Amino acid sequence: MKTNLLALLLLFSGIQLFAQEKTISGTVISADDGLPLPGANVVIKNQSTGTTTDFDGNYEIEVAPEDVLTFSFIGFQTQEVKVGGQETIDVNLIADTESLSEIVLIGYGAAEKQDLTGAISSVKSDEILKQPALTATQAVQGKVAGVNIINSDSPGSTPTVTIRGLGTALGGRNPLYVVDGVPVTDIKNISPSNIESMDFLKDASSASIYGLRAANGVVIVTTKKGKKGKAKLSFNSYYGVKSLLNKVDMANASQYTQYYNEEETAIGSTSLLAPNQRYNTDWLDELTQLGAVSNNVFTISGGSENVDYFFSYDHYEEEGLLPNQKYRRSVITSNNAFKLFDDKLKVTQNLSITPTNENPKPLSSFNTAYRQAPVIPVYYENGLYGQSFYNQATGEATYMAQEGEAVGRLTDAGNPVAAVNFANEKISTLTLQGSVTAELELTDHLTFTSRIGMRKYYYNKRAFTPTKKSWIANDPTRTAEAFENNRTQFPDSPEWARNSLAFEKEETFKYNWDNFINYKRSFGQHNFDLTLGGSKEETGIGEKNTSSAYEVPEAEQYWSIKHAGDSYDKQTNQYYFTQVNYMSQFGRLQYNFDRTYYLTATLRRDGTSVFKSNKEYFDYFPSVGLGWTLSNESFLENSNFLNYLKLRGSYGELGNAKVPFNTTTIQTNAASGNQNYVFGPNQGLVFGASIGSPAQPLSWEVVQEWSAGFDYELLDNRLTGSFDWYDKTTTNTILEIQPLLNSPFAEKFYDHGAKVVNKGVEVGINWSDNISDDFSYNVGVTYNYNKNEITQVKNNYAGQTGGSLDNGQISKRLEEGQPLGSWWMYEADGVWQTQEEIDNNASLGGALPGHLKYKDQNEDGVIDERDKKYFGSYIPKYNFGINIAVNYKNFDFSVAGYGAGGNKVYNGLTGTRLGGENIPVEVFENRWTGAGSTNANPGANKDAYASSHYLEDGDYFRINNITFGYTLPEIKMVSKARVYVSAQNAFIFTKYSGFTPELNSDGNPYGTTGIELSAYPNTSTFLMGLNLEF
Amino acid sequence: MKLFTKITISLVATLALVSCSEDFLDVDSRENIEAIDSNENITPEQFLNGIYGMYTDYAYAFSWLGITEIISDNADKGSSPTDNGADKNLLDNLTFTSTATSVREMWTQWYKTIGRASYSIAFTETYGLQDEEYKDRLVGEAKFLRALTYFYLVRSFGDVTIQGDITIENKEAILDPESNLSSRNSKEEVYAYIEQDLLAAIEVLPTKSEYASKDLGRATKGAAQALLAKVYLYQQDYNQALEYANLVINSGQYGLEANYEDIWREYTENGTESIFEIQARGEVIAHGVQQYSQVQGARGPSGWGWGFNTPTENLVAAFDAEGDEIRKDATIIFAGETLWDGREVSPSVENPRYNEKAYSSANSGAADGDKNIRVIRYAEVLLIKAEAANELGQTSEALSALNQVRQRVELDDVVGLGQIELRQKIWNERRLELAFEHDRWFDLIRTGQAEQAMQANGKTYVNGKHELFPIPENQLIQTPQMTQNPGW
Repeated sequence: MKTNLLALLLLFSGIQLFAQEKTISGTVISADDGLPLPGANVVIKNQSTGTTTDFDGNYEIEVAPEDVLTFSFIGFQTQEVKVGGQETIDVNLIADTESLSEIVLIGYGAAEKQDLTGAISSVKSDEILKQPALTATQAVQGKVAGVNIINSDSPGSTPTVTIRGLGTALGGRNPLYVVDGVPVTDIKNISPSNIESMDFLKDASSASIYGLRAANGVVIVTTKKGKKGKAKLSFNSYYGVKSLLNKVDMANASQYTQYYNEEETAIGSTSLLAPNQRYNTDWLDELTQLGAVSNNVFTISGGSENVDYFFSYDHYEEEGLLPNQKYRRSVITSNNAFKLFDDKLKVTQNLSITPTNENPKPLSSFNTAYRQAPVIPVYYENGLYGQSFYNQATGEATYMAQEGEAVGRLTDAGNPVAAVNFANEKISTLTLQGSVTAELELTDHLTFTSRIGMRKYYYNKRAFTPTKKSWIANDPTRTAEAFENNRTQFPDSPEWARNSLAFEKEETFKYNWDNFINYKRSFGQHNFDLTLGGSKEETGIGEKNTSSAYEVPEAEQYWSIKHAGDSYDKQTNQYYFTQVNYMSQFGRLQYNFDRTYYLTATLRRDGTSVFKSNKEYFDYFPSVGLGWTLSNESFLENSNFLNYLKLRGSYGELGNAKVPFNTTTIQTNAASGNQNYVFGPNQGLVFGASIGSPAQPLSWEVVQEWSAGFDYELLDNRLTGSFDWYDKTTTNTILEIQPLLNSPFAEKFYDHGAKVVNKGVEVGINWSDNISDDFSYNVGVTYNYNKNEITQVKNNYAGQTGGSLDNGQISKRLEEGQPLGSWWMYEADGVWQTQEEIDNNASLGGALPGHLKYKDQNEDGVIDERDKKYFGSYIPKYNFGINIAVNYKNFDFSVAGYGAGGNKVYNGLTGTRLGGENIPVEVFENRWTGAGSTNANPGANKDAYASSHYLEDGDYFRINNITFGYTLPEIKMVSKARVYVSAQNAFIFTKYSGFTPELNSDGNPYGTTGIELSAYPNTSTFLMGLNLEF
Repeated sequence: MKLFTKITISLVATLALVSCSEDFLDVDSRENIEAIDSNENITPEQFLNGIYGMYTDYAYAFSWLGITEIISDNADKGSSPTDNGADKNLLDNLTFTSTATSVREMWTQWYKTIGRASYSIAFTETYGLQDEEYKDRLVGEAKFLRALTYFYLVRSFGDVTIQGDITIENKEAILDPESNLSSRNSKEEVYAYIEQDLLAAIEVLPTKSEYASKDLGRATKGAAQALLAKVYLYQQDYNQALEYANLVINSGQYGLEANYEDIWREYTENGTESIFEIQARGEVIAHGVQQYSQVQGARGPSGWGWGFNTPTENLVAAFDAEGDEIRKDATIIFAGETLWDGREVSPSVENPRYNEKAYSSANSGAADGDKNIRVIRYAEVLLIKAEAANELGQTSEALSALNQVRQRVELDDVVGLGQIELRQKIWNERRLELAFEHDRWFDLIRTGQAEQAMQANGKTYVNGKHELFPIPENQLIQTPQMTQNPGW
């Protein structure tokens, strides 16, 4: 401010301070695009005299010929020019690619990367844009060491993000996202094109400023702002086609027939399929289509002396692999900054409005298509939907039979095409999110900031079920007449209503109000930066409404409760959510001596309304970080090889309060819950209640983390990188405890029950070089290894099971010494060859030759639960990313790959058959066909117990992106025009036999995560795009 | 500037610190009712309804079939040869183990039911109801349901854990500190506990006709007496069995339906023959025993269900041996037959026979159907009386009760049999009269006929093992001190 004032004096007072001085002028422009740089600093070296450039990049300054002028601007390399005899000095500033001076957001403030003591990884806009995606987190897979991202390719889905390993078994597994100062749970409503940067706060020293919500890491997302200068228009667009990346080859009709007959014969059944079936259906082909994706983003941005503006409209549209499966999203973003009172007050406003529209289709249809027999047609000749019937007498796959012929079902699988056709759901959401921040500069050193952030979310779902049509379609012998007869005969039974309509509406609101002061001052070489503040937040304020009715008119325009018939009762229900409040005070001191020795100390006092039962609301979360820039020491200062080296170390405590509201509750149910019953001659429904399990005293999970690492730059800053080590202990992991089977209580309850340790290393290496003005390239590698282990489990709490396979089997169990979500099942140990072998050995009930043999681990002669064994976890132990970029003249080329491994995934598609389902060709070809044929794979008749036979290595490496771009030579009016083609997920290298080894499900380690049952397959996308700037 | 700074700092301090009262964090539960507020919001009767509701769970629609009928000589697994319904093939073939899902599900279901009953009793007693008679009735109903459930447990597993009473302190449920969930109480203790509950229930429960119409279906004095008679029969205490059977018979509350097949129609639900049944409703809002009819419905084209729990040829033969056409037709759906409501069952359905007693005309394949499950009915009380009287040498009493049951289905009166032959006759009568009413397996074991009967049905019954189900493996993993039943 002082310099500014002085400059003003100099410029406008006209007073000559020094006789020998002369006035020189010039323009500062960006070497990149030739645009003027307003607000650049022009200072006389070693003096406090200086000025800033005006709106058009022009400046004037009084100098002496022997002076040296320093030109600097954020994001550009500083340039020094000797004045000499020159009257005009025009400067082209070169963009600073050096990462050290990058600005990194650290929560309630910002810092230069070289001043950090914690582990923070940043991803910038251009990295995010390289991988077009719906959500930015999808785009950064493999680009940030220590951040494990599992994608799902289902339209509109969000990836699972795990930072430095999983420490909790329950609810809050996701990192905290802070978008322009608003803490949120996901960033699906933010356009990736509008993101300026994502800063991943990985270690406790960085994240502890967010206290009891930081245990899973924090991702600070900053959206783009306008920059001072002329209005800039840009238009980015792409269109792509999606197809199945990793199709599983299924058996054809004749292979299936053979397999089915072997299976039937093995269990003594004589109703076999005849050879030469009429149909040979490839269900996956029939079910799926090519998907399509398109995205158009239009942006205007710029700035004047007092106002910076940024406006953008983003429209994303995706069609899934299933017919009529659609997802559409528009994002309107308006970010403005107002600078008032000589820049002493800066008011920033961010707003995004995000409507989405979705037509989901049942993902279980992939599972059904996998299982349905190829001898069944999609449609019979008469146009009716094919179902898995076969005439047991003739062996034909038909529902028709003569007198005395029985018709059976080959499998329980339905017709997936019918399922998709009859599914009629529409989901629309609207998210309004924004913040207003006022920064008031009180003195040169003291800033006061106040921020209000809000988010309002609406969810609206309509589901229409054509009961009559799907009833008829489920069995070709059924007629519309039969349905109508039943309808007349049982007028009170809604199952005979011709259709039904259900609505679900939800709305929630949250806000946060943060106030903090920042005091920044240097005393000689002692540099201080102090932040103190408080924050208050209310979340989850809202309600849910559901309503349903029967028999609406056929035409979609009349699908409303109002138009529903009155033969059946209309139902509505409504309730309010239990909101969650937070309140915090925080302080952070950053100190360094000569930018060589660093200390960061953070303390947050944090409170939440969640832990009501024990009235425990507040706790303190401290952290300390130390840093030492060795390369500033005299012994390294002149090294040619080593340009930069910094050691970092930290300790901190973090909390996780994202657990369900903890209080003993009474369960009631407005519909057919088991609290209710019927009494009286008319069997009137009476509502009842039951008590949940008594609540245990619960509070937040506390994570203690030790972390150390170093950052380096070598060989003229061409080789840069970092290495980090961490040891992170969740000291009181909350488990969802299943009460003892014979206890009075049925509901699962929550209690602190274990310690979970995550230890790991992260490596990031980047090599970039400019061979010539025309040729530059960059190679980056990230790698991280994480070991997850449950170290202490409370008595009685071990043995919690999970991983339901949907057939009554479970596949996971919690146990001390194992990782979270560890597999637990029988160990397959060959195949029973003969009945005699079964009779003479321990076997599971019902074993037949051709079944898998399970190992009697405790050798007690009986196969039971005690013989199940742990087989590691679905959580990848390591993951890595490779990013290569080459620029030659106007061409750019980049490749990104991502891999993960060291884990196991369960192929539930082949492993959970009830019998009669189709099988992959591979299973068909390698099956056991009789004594001595093979000891590796079971025969056509097999059991469906969870066993290691279906547990496969989850390792994979995928080429995420190959992009080839060409920037057109300059055209009038257009400052940049680039066209590109890109292949996403073009190749995958994996031994896994299913559709996709990326099986994040909902991320619950004891849920279906890691089990392929109805996952959306991986897709590959080929797209063409255009970037235009004016 | 100094002053300004000071003002600001105090402003921030105020904003940050003063507002940090804990009131802001004391948020009320809006989604679920907190236990602490239950007195204002929940009545004792609601907790009581919650016990009844437990009998409408899916466990009773599938697992229950497995361990009562499919396992016995009355029923086969049914369905497709390859569809095993988790473990129904193993139950059918008597090759199941301690990991059998059906066994675990019923074990768990029963203990959770008992938990609800004990909580309901504690809540009712501390709630402060002024109407003593009403309060006693609520407690009596809960005790009946608790006794019924313990009876299911003890006849399936022998020695079992007695959960103990629940008390409510500071609105939190406290389990009896004396009870130990890791150990098992002896069979005798469990029976004593059941009798105590039932005697207390008999004291306070109204008779069927004393209940208001809206309460039709609640546990009655007669239901408690009938169950107690059965409980005594299982302990071979024939005097008491006869006494309580007679109390029911002489109460004037019950009688036989004129036509046997009418017992499973909707219009006879809670009718004269009904002593206790599980209530089900098929209309909106539907609430039935979840999928009970669907699981047992015919499978294949024109079918409406999954086709499990199908009558064996052995059962058909038993009906035929007795010349019992009426009960055979009422009990079994044959492929290709036309049902009483006009429904034509395709001759090409997948299995030759299905359970007709589970058939719901209105809600054949619905998740929540209108089929009430008959738990105890008057005919069974007559048969309990016949059996007890015969054991006590009161042959004419026995014959008169037995023949009442036979006359309805147009079978000749039994006359002139000695005690041993009559015993066999009564046992066989139980099989035919009560087929698919979830008693067969326990009757076989109780009467010592299991080994022979199962052999006749082509299954290997192991003496000293199959009398009891195994304690579920998962329970033993949770409480390793608990002992397993012999042979498992």
